[in-house]
This record gives sequence, structure tokens and C-alpha cells, in this order.
Amino acid sequence: MKPLLEKARRNRFLKPMEPVFDALEAAVFGSDATTAGGPHCVDGLDIKRYMTVVIAGLTPAVLAAVWAFGVRSLAMIVVSYLFGGLVEVGFAMARKKHIHEGFLVTGLIFPLTLPPTVPLWVVAVGVVVGTLFGKEMFGGTGRNIFNPALVGRLFVTIAFPSIMSTAWQIPGSDAITTATPLGMYKTSQAVTALTDLLVGRATGSMGEVFRVGLIAGGLFVIWTRVSEWRIPLSYLGSVAILSAAGHRFAPARVAPPLFQLFAGGLMLGAFFMATDPVTSPFTKAGKWVFGTMCGLLTVLIRGFSGYVEGVMFSIVIMNGLAPLIDHIVLKATFRPRPRAKAGAPAPAPAHCGSCACGRDGGRGGER
Amino acid sequence: MPESMNLFAVFFSAVFTGNILLTNYLGMCSFLGASREVKTALGLGTAVVFVMAATGALNWLIYCLVLVPLDLVYLRFIVFIVVIAAFVQVVEMIIERTSERLHAALGIFLPLITVNCAIMGASLFMVIRNYGLGEAFAYGTGSGLGWALAILAMAGIRQKMAKARVPRGLEGAGITLIIAGIMALAFVGFNGMLSAGP
Repeated sequence: MKPLLEKARRNRFLKPMEPVFDALEAAVFGSDATTAGGPHCVDGLDIKRYMTVVIAGLTPAVLAAVWAFGVRSLAMIVVSYLFGGLVEVGFAMARKKHIHEGFLVTGLIFPLTLPPTVPLWVVAVGVVVGTLFGKEMFGGTGRNIFNPALVGRLFVTIAFPSIMSTAWQIPGSDAITTATPLGMYKTSQAVTALTDLLVGRATGSMGEVFRVGLIAGGLFVIWTRVSEWRIPLSYLGSVAILSAAGHRFAPARVAPPLFQLFAGGLMLGAFFMATDPVTSPFTKAGKWVFGTMCGLLTVLIRGFSGYVEGVMFSIVIMNGLAPLIDHIVLKATFRPRPRAKAGAPAPAPAHCGSCACGRDGGRGGER
Repeated sequence: MPESMNLFAVFFSAVFTGNILLTNYLGMCSFLGASREVKTALGLGTAVVFVMAATGALNWLIYCLVLVPLDLVYLRFIVFIVVIAAFVQVVEMIIERTSERLHAALGIFLPLITVNCAIMGASLFMVIRNYGLGEAFAYGTGSGLGWALAILAMAGIRQKMAKARVPRGLEGAGITLIIAGIMALAFVGFNGMLSAGP
């Protein structure tokens, strides 16, 4: 196959297809290239390994989804990979860049966040919107501000509300019901048994029902240091504490803490989406703030808004605030030392809040 | 609902549920123009909070004590604009005389927001929704804070994206509108939460 690939590479007319060949070659043959100049990195922790570990962490949830919802769930994953992959390949070709492995995770997580009954065309629409507007517009893998899978999910949730929230398949059977555990709490304060939630006997999105697997996979990903522990800990911790407090004062609205922790998409979101290193803050203090705020918003939206589940909304809102959080943390940590009078060459003199425009320049423009 | 709770609901929903920028799309022009840097955004945001809070209450007083009794309600658009512009000018003069530092921080932004449609919008919403004086003040402050929050978040994002390879046709306003759109989608999650007034 290699000679064939080489031949195709040399073909003038197939030039725009180069990223496709690169990806094929990497996937089939791997790479034996080593860095030519120093510094040499001892650990091979690159995007590819990041993504492989995350996918390994998601495997239990995927297997459980196939077991619970049948082969249809596989079809949804295939459609997601196919259409998202088309967008990715198209942009790689237009940009003359390599195809990034980042898509392998987006394309897998997106169908996992969907109800198992959605039509396949919704999967396609969502993944295309998510990859196109969530990632490629921002410059591709590593540049996105929002989690692409969640952008897609957000779009289909709001565009097709009746498809997205009315029909939930009961795991392991063909029966359809209208309610999820969180929805049942909202309407009748009914608490689903924890064991049902943990082993995947309660309704929910495709990848979120088997929570034992999600927790194990999430801990595995943290153990390999691919994602880090501060965000899941602060996210789950703040949900537990705030829902405990909220349940005390408004039991009709806020569900009890243990139920909240194991219901809905919280485990999937906290372990696999909020931790995305690209869309979460990179400062340690920022990560604590990010996780805690995610928890606060989740409890608020679950308890008080018109929506039943708040994990997706809160993670996307906090994605939008993450750069600002980092900015504030950096500003607070690396404050230029206040120096006495002498013409200090400090980069930003303290009084110069926004007068970079010059006091006179500002006034001149207005008069 | 007790009075204080209602004030809080008005304030909260002005910041989040009915964020004037992300749900009503008001104040877009300065949002697009001045969101390149956090520093600038902070200056403009502070100015908007201040002016919105003050003109919300001021316009309420004028509307209820002058326009309604004199049956001149149809003049409210002109009157509100004049009040906002006059208020901004007077405040600017006072600040210039009293606090050089504050003037340096807010100076250029005050005249800019005279024509910010979000401020006019806040005054008009307050009339449509029949707010009382306290609610009008809470609504003005909340809307200002919500606007400031949105522009600060956007400035943080745009600073981070300074080197991103955005498709050429979408640089600047294009990608900013896409980001604002995604944020607006996410703010839909607040729907139905503590909605106050009609």
C-alpha cells in the first residue's frame, strides 16, 4: 500500500488531497520520524496520545450504550464521525494542514450526549455545526474557545426541542418514556434509586447512563495525567455542597445532593468535557474557579430554569468566561511591583487604567 | 413576593436571564468595537453600569412625574435621549473637576455611550414593563452589569484569540458575532429563571 500512497502523493491533480494522505499514512504506518534538533522531548505526550487516552476512558460508556440502546447507537457514532470528519478534512485541505486527531474525541463525545432516539440527520446537523462553528471557525484544534461537541449539542437542543427532549428509550428495552430522572424530580420530586442511576437502568442520553463506567474512565484519564483533577473535583464538590444547601431551603426546587451528582450528564460533563485543556482555564486558581462556577450554574439551571438539565449550558457559559478568568488570575498573580516614583519602566503604570489613548487624545476626539 | 425579593429578581434577570446584550442584542456596536482588550472593555463596562443605573432612575422620575401627568408620553424617545446625553455631559464635567483618576479611566468612554442603544433600551424596557422606581434602578444596574460581563468575557476571548487562524472573511466582527451567538445560545439555559415582570 505504501508505494501506492507515494504514487498518489506525486500525482499533480491529487495535490489538494495531501492532508488525507498524511492522515492515512499516520494511521496505517505510524511515524518513525524523530526530531532532528534539540531540545528532545523524552515523553511522547502529543495530541494523538491525549486523544487515545480520552477515547480509552470513554470506552466503557460506549460499550454500555451499545448494550443498552442497541446497534443504533453505533450508527449514530458512525454518522457523527462521517459528517464531522468531512468538515475536518475539508478544512484541512483548504488550509493545507494536517488532519488533527482532536476530531476523534469530538466525534465520539457528541453522539454520547444525545438522547438515544434522535434521528440520524440530527446527529449529522449537530456534528457539522459543532465542528464548523465550534472549532474550524476559530482556527481548528487547539484554538477553539468553546467545546465543539457541546456547541453542536446546544444548537440541536435549541433548534429541535421536541426531538431532543420528549422521547427517551429505557436502557435495555425498546420502551420509550417521556421523562428522565431529573425531569421526574422537576415535575413530581421523584428521586430515582441511586443503583439504577449508577449501573445504567435509568433513562438518559446515550453515553451518560452507565455512570460506574464513566467514573472509572474519568479516573483513568486523570490517573494518566491527561486531564487533571482540579476541575472535576471542584465541579462535583460544588454541586454536592450547593445542592445540599439548596435542598434544605427549597426542597421543591433543588434535588438532594447524591441524586444530583449521579443524575443527568454531570459525570460525563465533569470528567470529559469541563476538563478539556483547550477550553478551560490554564491557571490552577482559574481551574478551581471554573469548576466551582460550573457547579453553581448547573445547580441553578437544574433547579430554577425552564430546562431540566444544566450541565451543557453551564460548561459552555464557563468556556466563554475561561479566558477572562485566566486574565484576572494572571493579573492578580503577576502584579508589577509598585515602585517608588523613579521613572520605573513598568509595562503598565498603575494609574493608566484606560488612558493609553491619552487624556488629551480622548477629549480631542469628543469636542 | 415581598418587595426586596422582587428587586432581587429584577436585578438577577437583568444580568442573566434577560441579558440586554445576549438576549436583546442591544449595544452591539460598542460591543464589537471596544472588545479587543480587557482593559478597554473594563473601562467601557464600568461607564455603562454607572450611566445605566443613573439614567434608569432619572428617566423613571421624569417619565412618571412629568411626562405622564402632562400627557406627553409620546415624547419619551426624545426626552430619554436628551436626558441621557445631558446626564453624560454633566457627569463628565463633574468628574473632570473632581477626580482626575476617574476621568482618566472613564473619560473617553462616557461620550461614546451617549448613543449606546442598550442604555436607551433599558429606559424604554423599564417603561414597557411598568417598573417602580426601585425596580427601575435595579433593572438599570443589572442590565449594565450584564452588559459589562458580556463585553469583558468577549474581550478575554478575543485577547486569547489574537493569534488564531480565523478564516480571512470572518476576522474581526465576523468571528465576534459567531462567539456572541454561541454565548447567546448558552444563555438560553437561564430561560424561565426568576423571570420578573410581564
